[in-house]
Amino acid sequence: MTSIKIIGFKIVLLIGFFVLANFVYKHTLFEKDIQAYSPVIDLVRTVVKDGAEIIYLGESSNNTIRSDDQDKRSISEMISAYYPSKKFGHITKEASHAGIFFDLLQNIPDSSAVKTVIVTLNLRSFDAGWIFSDLETPLQQSMVLLKPYPPLFNRFLLAFKAYDIKTNEERERQFKTAWKNETLVFPEPFKYKNTDQWNKGIAYSGIKNPDGSWNTPMTELACHYVKTYAFQINTETNPRIKDFDRITALAKKRNWNLVFNLLAENVDKADSLVGKELIYLINQNRNVLVSRYQSMNVLVVDNLEKVGDAEFIDRSWTTEHYAEKGRKIVARSVAKALKQIYPSDYSDTISQQQVRDEFFSDCETPIDWGQMNTLTSSNSFSGKFSSLTGQNHDFSLTFEQSLENLPETMNKVEIEFQVFQTNLNHDAKLVIELRGQRIAFSWNGFKLNELSRKEKVWDKVNYQFLLPDNYVKAEIIKVYLFNPTSTSILIDDLRVKFKP
Amino acid sequence: MFFIPQYILILFVTILIDYVAAIYIEKSDQSRKKKYLIISIVATCLVLIIFKYLDFFNQNMIQLSHLLGFYYPEKVIKVVLPIGLSFHTFQSLSYVIEVYRGHQKAERNFGIYSLYVMFYPQLVTGPIERPQNLLVQLKEEKKLDYSNLSNGLRLILYGLFVKMVIADNLASYVDQIYANPKEYGTLSILTGLFFYSFQIYCDFLGYSTIAVGCAKSMGYNLMDNFKNPYFSKGIGEFWQRWHISLSSWFRDYVYFSLGGNKVKIQRWMINILIVFALSGFWHGANWTFIIWGLAHGFIYIMESLSDRYLPRIKELKNSWVNLLYITKTFILVSFIWILFRASSIYQVKTLLASLLKNIHLQDKFYVDPKVWIFLGIFILSDYVLFNTRFDKWCSVQKSYARWSVYFILIFMIIVFSSINNFPFIYFQF
Repeated sequence: MTSIKIIGFKIVLLIGFFVLANFVYKHTLFEKDIQAYSPVIDLVRTVVKDGAEIIYLGESSNNTIRSDDQDKRSISEMISAYYPSKKFGHITKEASHAGIFFDLLQNIPDSSAVKTVIVTLNLRSFDAGWIFSDLETPLQQSMVLLKPYPPLFNRFLLAFKAYDIKTNEERERQFKTAWKNETLVFPEPFKYKNTDQWNKGIAYSGIKNPDGSWNTPMTELACHYVKTYAFQINTETNPRIKDFDRITALAKKRNWNLVFNLLAENVDKADSLVGKELIYLINQNRNVLVSRYQSMNVLVVDNLEKVGDAEFIDRSWTTEHYAEKGRKIVARSVAKALKQIYPSDYSDTISQQQVRDEFFSDCETPIDWGQMNTLTSSNSFSGKFSSLTGQNHDFSLTFEQSLENLPETMNKVEIEFQVFQTNLNHDAKLVIELRGQRIAFSWNGFKLNELSRKEKVWDKVNYQFLLPDNYVKAEIIKVYLFNPTSTSILIDDLRVKFKP
Repeated sequence: MFFIPQYILILFVTILIDYVAAIYIEKSDQSRKKKYLIISIVATCLVLIIFKYLDFFNQNMIQLSHLLGFYYPEKVIKVVLPIGLSFHTFQSLSYVIEVYRGHQKAERNFGIYSLYVMFYPQLVTGPIERPQNLLVQLKEEKKLDYSNLSNGLRLILYGLFVKMVIADNLASYVDQIYANPKEYGTLSILTGLFFYSFQIYCDFLGYSTIAVGCAKSMGYNLMDNFKNPYFSKGIGEFWQRWHISLSSWFRDYVYFSLGGNKVKIQRWMINILIVFALSGFWHGANWTFIIWGLAHGFIYIMESLSDRYLPRIKELKNSWVNLLYITKTFILVSFIWILFRASSIYQVKTLLASLLKNIHLQDKFYVDPKVWIFLGIFILSDYVLFNTRFDKWCSVQKSYARWSVYFILIFMIIVFSSINNFPFIYFQF
């Protein structure tokens, strides 16, 4: 009896310890760990803090652009332009999928303003190649601290690697096994039984040029298409189905409107390279997803075949990265579908004709300005990052925009930014550059140490520049700091505003 | 390093060979005994050679053919090394040798003998057990015992702490240095060497302590593999404290077989070098390991000769002199670890070149201050546990002190362990 009492006392002591330790950890080191290992949570916090009513969850398809795009907005920004009266937010994390989206959505508090959630439904993400991708381990790791358990328990799970952790070799073996073992079923007899055979068949027979010679890049691309799309979703076993089901259940519980944005795939290319059997599988999978989630009252926007081959950015790989027109098609399609939820807030004219006259980068959000490689976390005015120049980094974060849509009356550019100069003994310049086929190249540099005379502190610089008369003919305006010296200069919170 | 289910067959074959061989050795007369022993040793070593050393010999033959200009087919032999092979083959060998020497009766129960080779806590990276210790215990009836359970759990806790908090936190810094030695200066590389000494110690100590703890909690006593090796005053003492199960294996089965120290001094020196070179080769099929072993052997010989011919130095004994000896041994061992950690002789050269040439203060290497604190805590704990073990130390502490230590360790394991995945270093052997 005594020993039972002793053991009981020790158990109580342990429980007390864990409660206390959890309290201490939560209020001391947890946030630091979150920032180190799960920084994606900041995206969720931002949408909640901003009071977003509609949030868009996507992977790189949301914000990947092509270098010649005039309109560099992401899909979510384009959708938001159709609903000017609604507060929009986005959570974009590269290579993520429904499992990650679910974990992130769970972190949105009940008290938030979120009413509608748009989630990208990426067909490729149902394939074994993505399910067992080598990116999965870091992705799963980044989600552990965000689980809805006590912080100390989450840290325990992280410490003991209690998540789907596998080496790249193990992952490769997993998807190769799936490609071999999952038999493909067609309405008519087909010579390949599974993805592995099909892939090898194409690799051996090859794609030929008109003159009969072997076209290696096209053969490789055809193989990619087979490996990416040659699968049949088993709703009983496919982990993505389970993840989307969990998202659906969560949305129901939270009373959110749920929209699945079935992303466009390059069906034209799949057809021309591989043929009708692959299209059969793509359509079959599409039908499975659309009918499944429509029956669960999810608004499914089917964009699968809406974007043409020319709008796909990656030419030697299968992705959902669209150029400007492609993003606009997807955005418009989603925006139109949202009319079912917000019939009176939809505004087509504004979104199409709205002219942006103000641009801003705090060096934090992944908007695509030039020279993003200069971002550093060593020192910043706001947030974590700023842009570092000097010591072989000649150009700072660069604003680059087409001037074609600006009315002629807007001929002033107001440039505002924070600067941190380690010393004033340098020759760095604030540069406004205008270029285009119809005007002479115009390069205007202004000495930075005359615009700001403070060193080793952050100082606000405000400068107005009058555009030359022929500026509307310029195709591109660029604003940046040019610093070919060895002096380190940081800039942050760069704002460019066009004014009449 | 992979787990390949078919590889269990290798284990089965090794077990079968030595199980049968031991019975025949026991039953046979002296001349036949030896024959069976040789068959058993060759067969067991053959498995090790095929899976661990074949490609090494192949690569060296290719190099040699280039150098001497004879024909040798340049084929790549890629065999995945079964996890724990070096450990359980040595444990198997130890059994047949002990039966041959008459120190151990041949085990008739195939299940018990298989368990001796495959005893899970130490199957993968030891300690390499002796039949006189483990086989006897496997035959005893074991009952759940509170004292064993708590001592076992204490050891597991301490093992997890040294592996997860110390070794794994140091590992990422060591990896940085070895990945790009040219990028770093003298100070950084010295820090890297210092860290590696503790990384490998804590990594292996962690595993061994967990293994001993697991066995202890079930009532089995395994041998201790480490006894505070960095407090050794010489290389000889270091090897009495480091990876004890392996060094004693080589002492008992190789060194003594070669005549030990009961031979002429020149022959004794050769014996020492053979034993240390073999010990290095046991770790990995790479010249770096062989040179690593030889370097230890060479220093061991130097120290022994110094003790023999300059006895006055040995007689100098006080705390400060001891501290000097300990520091000297630690520095020597740390430098020789370069050979152990480097993937090639070229990497050793690059690292040493950076160490000697990049003498500048503008170093990129940043170490989180908390890592130094963890290391300090570990060195202190190693000092406190000098010549004792964590479970034994705990059992003489007052309960509040003991529980305070438990709580601190649990908290540190959960909150400060590295999130990166660093498998046990000795898994590769």
